[in-house]
Parts: sequence; C-alpha cells; structure tokens
Amino acid sequence: MKRRRPAAELAERLLGGPVLWAGLIALTAFALAPFIWMLLTSLKSREELYATPLAYLPVHPTFENYVDAWTSPVTPFSRFFLNSLWVCSVTMVATTAISVLAGYAIARFRFAGRDALLLVFLATQMFPSVLLIAPLLTQWRALGLIDTYQALIYSNFSFTVPFTVWMMVGYFSSIPRDLEESAMIDGCNHFGALCRVVLPLAAPGIAATAIFAFVVSWSELLFAISFTTETSMRTLSAGLLYMVGQYEVQWGPLSAGVVLSTVPVAILFTFLQRHLIHGLTAGAVKG
Amino acid sequence: MTTVALAGHRPRPLVSWRVRKLVVGYSYLVPAALCMLATVVVPIGMAIKMSLYHDVLYKPQDYRFIGLGNYVRLVQDPVFWLTLWNSVVWVFGSVLLQFLAGFAAALLLQQAFRGRALVRTLTLLPWIIPGVVVGLIWEWLYQPNYGVINDLLLKAGWMHDRVAWLSSADLAMPAVIFTNIWRGIPFFAIMLLAGLQAIPGELYEAAHVDGAGVLGRFWHITLPLLRPIIVVATATRIIWTFNYADLIFVMTGGGPANATQITSTYTLMQAYSNLDFGYAGALSVVLLLVMLAFTAAYLRVTRGVEEVG
Repeated sequence: MKRRRPAAELAERLLGGPVLWAGLIALTAFALAPFIWMLLTSLKSREELYATPLAYLPVHPTFENYVDAWTSPVTPFSRFFLNSLWVCSVTMVATTAISVLAGYAIARFRFAGRDALLLVFLATQMFPSVLLIAPLLTQWRALGLIDTYQALIYSNFSFTVPFTVWMMVGYFSSIPRDLEESAMIDGCNHFGALCRVVLPLAAPGIAATAIFAFVVSWSELLFAISFTTETSMRTLSAGLLYMVGQYEVQWGPLSAGVVLSTVPVAILFTFLQRHLIHGLTAGAVKG
Repeated sequence: MTTVALAGHRPRPLVSWRVRKLVVGYSYLVPAALCMLATVVVPIGMAIKMSLYHDVLYKPQDYRFIGLGNYVRLVQDPVFWLTLWNSVVWVFGSVLLQFLAGFAAALLLQQAFRGRALVRTLTLLPWIIPGVVVGLIWEWLYQPNYGVINDLLLKAGWMHDRVAWLSSADLAMPAVIFTNIWRGIPFFAIMLLAGLQAIPGELYEAAHVDGAGVLGRFWHITLPLLRPIIVVATATRIIWTFNYADLIFVMTGGGPANATQITSTYTLMQAYSNLDFGYAGALSVVLLLVMLAFTAAYLRVTRGVEEVG
C-alpha cells in the first residue's frame, strides 16, 4: 500500500489539473464548434461562402444573408418567425393554465383513477409523435382546421400537457397544505386559495413550466409540416425545411435563418436551465 | 314554514363537503383530460382503426375494410424489416455513445472550477435547439464541397478524397448517429450530474482515508450509487431515440436507398409523403407495441433496482 501512494497521488493531481482542463476545453469546443461555424457562415458573402480553398473567417462580414432571409418573398422569414411566436405563445399560456389546474388537482385531491391518470400522462410522453400525424390530419381536415393556427396549437398540447402536468404535480406537492387550509378556514373557497396562496408560492415553477412549453413547441416540426400547406402559415422549423426544398439550397440565407431560430430558445433556456433540470431530474433521482 | 323551524341550525348543505371537494377536483382535471382525449387517446384509436382499412388519402374510392391486410403487407415488406434493424443500430449506436460521453461530461462538470455555470449552460445548448436546426447545421458541416469536416480531414491528411457523407450508403448512418450523439450528450450529462451531486462527499473522503484510488472510488462508490439514475435515463433515452424522426427526416429523408430509414421515419414517410394512412396506421401500431414491450421490460428491471437499492 505504502509504495503505491506516490503514484496514486500523482494520478489524482493530474486528474484534478491538466486532464480536467483538457476535458473541459474539448467538451466545450465540441458542443459549440458547429454553432460557431454556422454563425461564421451566416456572416459571409456569397463569394466567400463558396470559395475554394475554404475561407474559414469572413473577411468582409456582412448582414446581407439576414436581410435576404428576413425579407425574401419566396421564403418570408419574418412571417415564419411571427407564426412561431404566435403558435408558441398561445400554446404556452394555454398549456400553463391547463397544467396548473390538473397538477393542483392531482397533488391535492385523492380520487378514484388518480394513479391511472398519472400513468396516462407519463405514458403519453413516451408515444411517438409520428403515430399521431395521420389521425390528427384526418381529424383537422374533418374539422376544417388545415392551415390554421388552432390545429398547430391543439396538436402541440399532445406533447406539452403530459410533461407540464408532471412538473406541476411536483411543484405543488412541495408546497405545504397548511397554508391553503388556513386560507380556506378564513373563508376562501378552493379556487380562491389556489389563486391567492398556492400560485404565488409556485410562481418560479410555473414560469419554468411555461418556458418549457414554449421551447418544445418552438422545436416542433412534423405537425407543422403536416397540418399546413400554405407558405404563409409555416412556422420557423417548417419554414427552414421549406427553404431547403426550394430549388438549390441557399446556404447563406439558410444559415442566417438557423441562427435566428436558435437565439430565442437559447436565451430562454439560460433563464430556465436550473428549474428545468430540477424538474427533469427530481423524479429520476428519487426513483 | 319549515325553514323558520330550521333557522336556528346551520343548514345542512345539499351536497356533502366531501362530494363537493371531489367535484371541484374533477372539474380542475377536465381541461387536461379533454386535451389528452382529443390529441392523444382518440387519435390512437383512429390509428388502430385506420390500420384495418385500405386508406390512401388521394384514392378515396378505394377506401374499404381489409382486416389485417396492412399487417400482412407489413410482414412481407422487406423495407419494414430493414427499418427495424436500422432502428436497432440507430438506437444503440446513439444511446451507448451518448451515455459514455455524457458520463465523462458529468464527471468534468461536477468538479469545482471558475466559470462552471457558464460552461454548463454552453455545453447544454445542442440539446435545446430545434431538431431541424441541428439537422441543417450538420448537413452543412458534412457538405461534400464546402463542408468544414471534409476540409479539416483533408488538411490533416486523414483523407485523400472528398466524401459525400450523407449520400453514401455506408457512411450515412454513422454520420446521422454522430449528429444525434452530439445532440444527446447534454441529456445524459444533466441527469448523471444530478445523480453525482446527490452522492454524499463523506463517502469519498472515507474511501480516500482508507487508501482507495481514483478508480477504486469510481468503481465502488460512484457507479453503484448512480445505478438507479443510469437505468432511468438510459431507458427514457432508448424509447425517445426509437421514436425520434426529425433528425433523419431532415438530414437524409431515410436515404440513400433506405440506408438510414428507421421505423419511425418510415411511418412518417407513409403518412406524410405517400398519404397511405392505412399502412402508416399499421406501422404506428407496431411502434406502439415495441414501446409497450420495452416499457414493461424496463418497469421489471427498475423494480429490481429499487429492491436492491
């Protein structure tokens, strides 16, 4: 044992110092390099983009790709952006309201079928969304909802609601019951106690849930391409794919579009990170 | 007149307190239940029904009940069996390497160093951006003539000719799997980091005093204590990757010649491109059965973990 000590200590010093730093640099570089390359691409002019040999840095950085993407009449990025903003905002508000009520009921009331319901919400998170495309398309066609925001918003509920209900059950369970009970003795009804006592306490959790709903609907692609046919109704994800489908791929405007689609979720995510990670892992760590 | 007689008592409520509470509870659940009914439960029922019909959207005159016809077609369809095999390659290639790299990332991010919060946020980015964005970024990196990957490999002298990564039958699958690994590492990093932080530091100190080395501590403390979270994270990821269609759909559309066609993209193609809802329904039912079988197996395994832990 004694003789192995120096070697073991050397290994630990190496692991804590150079190995740690090399690993961190490699990790960060691997995660970020593709983004940086896309950002550089979006700032290049057409000549620099298709230069041989490859030009790594834009010599004359330009925003013309952004202007092109934003104002193009064929693939109107400004329109895609507004569509996404509207669909995701409405999904966010509605999902939050629905899951606050359901989460509160599941966390506070004992009723028949409670466990079964929780299991349904858990199982739905595992369902492949490709399964829903044909039936939902039939359903929206029958209701005349093709090329409407409603079809996209309702379809988004299929994957936002199950997850956010679980998140809300977790948050509400961590709030002590005594507070609402004393509010109810003071004359509040259930709904009053929920609004005045529980909601303010759960506010950070609710905000996280809302942002989560926004971020996942922002990424949604398959419903958006299946339930819309008009260019003016496309969301960002669907619009990006549509840009690829148009004649030859225009990597300049496309890279600008990619950057524009990434920035909002990246900003939201930095706010959300701690809460979301807590919500995601709480169940898993306990189990 | 009776009301006067009862005035002295507190009126007995028409419906008891307990029932009222129950009614309130159920009414809170109505919106969520309606959502699930309209967007998940009914559509699954419809998919099962569709699978029993000849249902091609642009041939309404041919719409008729054909029983298990779509399933017979499925069993005889060589592409279907190919997609199942491709799914296995896709899932295990992705999840295994995501797990290993994510574990390494979690061990790194657990250490105390300056700027840790920033590094954590940055390394999580690939996971939160839309799938279509991931697909397009990597399509551009893999681009044969102007892609930076070919350029770097040529400069390093590891390759002599440009490679068309996504249109080569042998390279397309490894290329999309690599992209999926890039995207999925943060998921495992987050989950395992949370697990690592839940391990009490005293355990490591005690082991250190007893003379256990780095590897010994990892093998006898870290791994056994992380086992539950490893099982949960891996199982969730396997199901999710099996179902995930966006990335392959964007990058290769399942091609070249179905080399990257997995069962979920094949289902998507049948519904979205071929508008063959009957066959897509049958494929959906198969996806659903695979998922249920896997979940059942997973629940048995986790129950085992809980009993041991």
